Amino acid sequence: MTSLRSRIFKLALLIVAVALPISAHVGSADVFFEGSAGPYHLFVTIRVPQVIPGVAEIEVRSESGDVRSIQIVPLRLTGQGSNLAPTPDLTVQSKDDPQFFTGNLWLMESGALQVRIMADGTKGKGEISVPVASFAQRVLPMEKPLEWTLLFLMIFLAVGIISIVGAGAREAKLDPGRVPGPPNSRHARIIMAATAVAVITALFLGRSWWGSVDLDYQRNVNHYKPPQAETSLENGNRLILRVSGLDTTWNGRIDLSKLILDHEHLMHLFLIGMPGMDRMWHLHPNPTPDGAFAENLPNMPAGRYQLYADIVDRRGFPWTLVAEVDLPQISDGVPLSGDDSSWSGAPLASAAGNQTVAALADGGRIVWNVPPGPLQSNVAMDFKFTVEDQSGKPAQDVQTYMGMAGHAEFVRSDFTVFAHVHPAGSVSMAALDLAQASLPGATSSPQDSNPEGMAMSMPMPNSSASIPPEVGFPYGFPQPGDYRIFVQVKRAGRVQTAVFDAHVQ
Amino acid sequence: MAESLAHPLQSQAATHDSALARSIPWYIWACVIAVLSGVFGAVWDISWHESIGRDTFWTPAHMLIYLCGVLAGLSCGYLILSITFQKDSPLRDSGVTMWGVRGPLGAFICSWGAAAMITSAPFDNWWHNAYGLDVKILSPPHVLLALGMMGIRFGTVILILAEMNRAEGAYRARLEKLFLFAFLFLMATTVGMAQEFTNRVYMHGAQFYLVIMITAPIWIATVTRASKSPWAATIMTAMYTAMHLAFCWFLPLAPAQPKLGPVYQTVTHLVPPDFPLLLIVPAIVFDLLRRRTSTWNPWIQAPVLGAAFFAGFLAAQWPFATFLMSPAAHNAIFVANNYPYFVPATSLWVRNIFVHSEHSTTQFWMTMSIALAVAVLMTRIGFSFGDWMRRIRR
Repeated sequence: MTSLRSRIFKLALLIVAVALPISAHVGSADVFFEGSAGPYHLFVTIRVPQVIPGVAEIEVRSESGDVRSIQIVPLRLTGQGSNLAPTPDLTVQSKDDPQFFTGNLWLMESGALQVRIMADGTKGKGEISVPVASFAQRVLPMEKPLEWTLLFLMIFLAVGIISIVGAGAREAKLDPGRVPGPPNSRHARIIMAATAVAVITALFLGRSWWGSVDLDYQRNVNHYKPPQAETSLENGNRLILRVSGLDTTWNGRIDLSKLILDHEHLMHLFLIGMPGMDRMWHLHPNPTPDGAFAENLPNMPAGRYQLYADIVDRRGFPWTLVAEVDLPQISDGVPLSGDDSSWSGAPLASAAGNQTVAALADGGRIVWNVPPGPLQSNVAMDFKFTVEDQSGKPAQDVQTYMGMAGHAEFVRSDFTVFAHVHPAGSVSMAALDLAQASLPGATSSPQDSNPEGMAMSMPMPNSSASIPPEVGFPYGFPQPGDYRIFVQVKRAGRVQTAVFDAHVQ
Repeated sequence: MAESLAHPLQSQAATHDSALARSIPWYIWACVIAVLSGVFGAVWDISWHESIGRDTFWTPAHMLIYLCGVLAGLSCGYLILSITFQKDSPLRDSGVTMWGVRGPLGAFICSWGAAAMITSAPFDNWWHNAYGLDVKILSPPHVLLALGMMGIRFGTVILILAEMNRAEGAYRARLEKLFLFAFLFLMATTVGMAQEFTNRVYMHGAQFYLVIMITAPIWIATVTRASKSPWAATIMTAMYTAMHLAFCWFLPLAPAQPKLGPVYQTVTHLVPPDFPLLLIVPAIVFDLLRRRTSTWNPWIQAPVLGAAFFAGFLAAQWPFATFLMSPAAHNAIFVANNYPYFVPATSLWVRNIFVHSEHSTTQFWMTMSIALAVAVLMTRIGFSFGDWMRRIRR
């Protein structure tokens, strides 16, 4: 019976393998980071360029007013290019807001990079590195006015060269003062016709070349789009995930057997109920011997789920696998354990405004200290939350959850944006470890010194010890719309999730 | 009788004096300066890209490149307009007519080159925005820019040729020197555009020789027909080599550090171009052989000289490539350690390992055979082109 049911479920499992209309990681490429460069606490925003090589815009806000200057410099995150730095760029200090610094940096390559930030001030010098996933996001279309201008100039140049060749053929060999005769003109016309053929051929070849470059570039853009997760269900509740790139080049580069730990796990899997996000599971599949990942699912209702799976490759580049899956009802699932967690509740209410208080399963609640005024897209914010107990007082039993004070997932209503954010920001914690390990003075790799993959930059107390009930997440909404924010904390050994809905203008 | 004898002699002397006294026209000098501006700008720009990185459009190297277009465009535009609207202009008879305006053929070509360069600017800017800042030399907008620069270089050569072919005596000799100097930049353009395929790692592959045969012998053959100098190919190529060596030796004297990253090589000074190709050797062979074959039919002469050029270059460059790969070449003279900041230490270039561009011996010899055939074909085309140049009078 179990075997029959398993086969039926396998057949029933529908994988919607159509690529989502989203850009990589997922729809949220800019980097938001909070950390300390020596004695200075900094809030860093890196607006990554749309094309690579391209210019990244860097914004740094110092928590205190004692920073005099900030220099920025790009390097590779690991391997060659991570130990030689170009001349640092000096950021510009705002005259109106002396704690705010801005600068531009060329990101010359795709892949896992880092931006090293060197602060200087009254307390001396401090340094920190912020990992950046550098990738081309789109191909810029040509605007009509420029298209017409270039077309006109091309026609002008084409006609011009034909005319010049004609004039040369007709008159250039004549002695000064001699008037060209009919034979000269006839000869010129023949030469002009041949030149016209040559020019048209050259233009055609040039256009083909352009098309070939465009295709190659589009392939590169596609290469960094969120890869599809191939899923299957075994034995009724065992979810198998395999990564599937768009082409063989991608498949050759990403190897699921060569990932690195990202805050204690190789994969963070999120299953979110569609379409209203009324259910959410945060699970941690384990690798299988054949290069896939597997997770014994808990009890779940049948339905369509959006799947996001965060992994980090060995170079420190974060990937988010995506898929839409139709799951049958799972009633003989495995109870949640360890760091796994779930939530269910009301669906996302469109245009409901910003919700500032959300209940926890144990009767406590989390309060979002939302700034006044409407939420704006593309604005860096520090999302601050306070955990309160059943009596409404700041909770005294908050513990670290996978090494951190909390985890937050920002998901847009159409699932085109997904960001897994931590108190250090939107960067991958594994990549952040690699970045800090590459700083001058660091002696060992993070995977050597910290096999659990815990963020070296944020040493946290023992997981059972209580930590302050306030948690903040640096992030910025990439586009307007309705968002659901899942805030996850651990209280008295139990992972709990609060959900906030936000409307972004 | 005495009078009739005296007149031609007096006339000849007067012509001689006027030829000596005559100075090279301002517009030729303006175009030569424009060409030099473009050459210095391009070499400096490539070095800038390799040493510092193109952190902004407004680098001095870029300004020199675009000064080439502006100077040539403005001077030739003015020349054409002044001849067109000044009915008694002495240059009117030695001009050609196009679109109702009149001027020397070279001035029209230079103007076209300037227009192509200007067109390439917004195209290139869009290209960077659409596909990122290119780290390659060969891209459609760069080819348009190079065509524009080539137009100005070619137009300058035609301007000089028209003047030279109408001149005599010492004036012609001066123009001939200037012609050989200006001509070298035509060869420098085509060979330079192919530099992504002419790195020393490719020098033991047939593709490298094919690329050189496509880009060099046509100019060697052309200059020997367009110039009356018996050493035209040698002189032109010697000047090319000398100028290239000057870039190799003087550019590294300027300190520079990468401004862009990631950085894979420690760079403290401007990265020079590669040591010049030994084109001087086949050029000498070409000049020596063409004396002995000057009376031959060009269809027979071209295979002999084309093959000689190919063999001469192969005999010189192949062993020299081995030397360039050795530690003995990693010094300030042979500049074989001129690695740009973005070249990883694992690259074959840094590791001094030859790239085998052909996958089999058969493919190698087939490509070499094609290179030989191309050398012959390009030599023949060069002869025709040079003959045409020799007859240019406007």
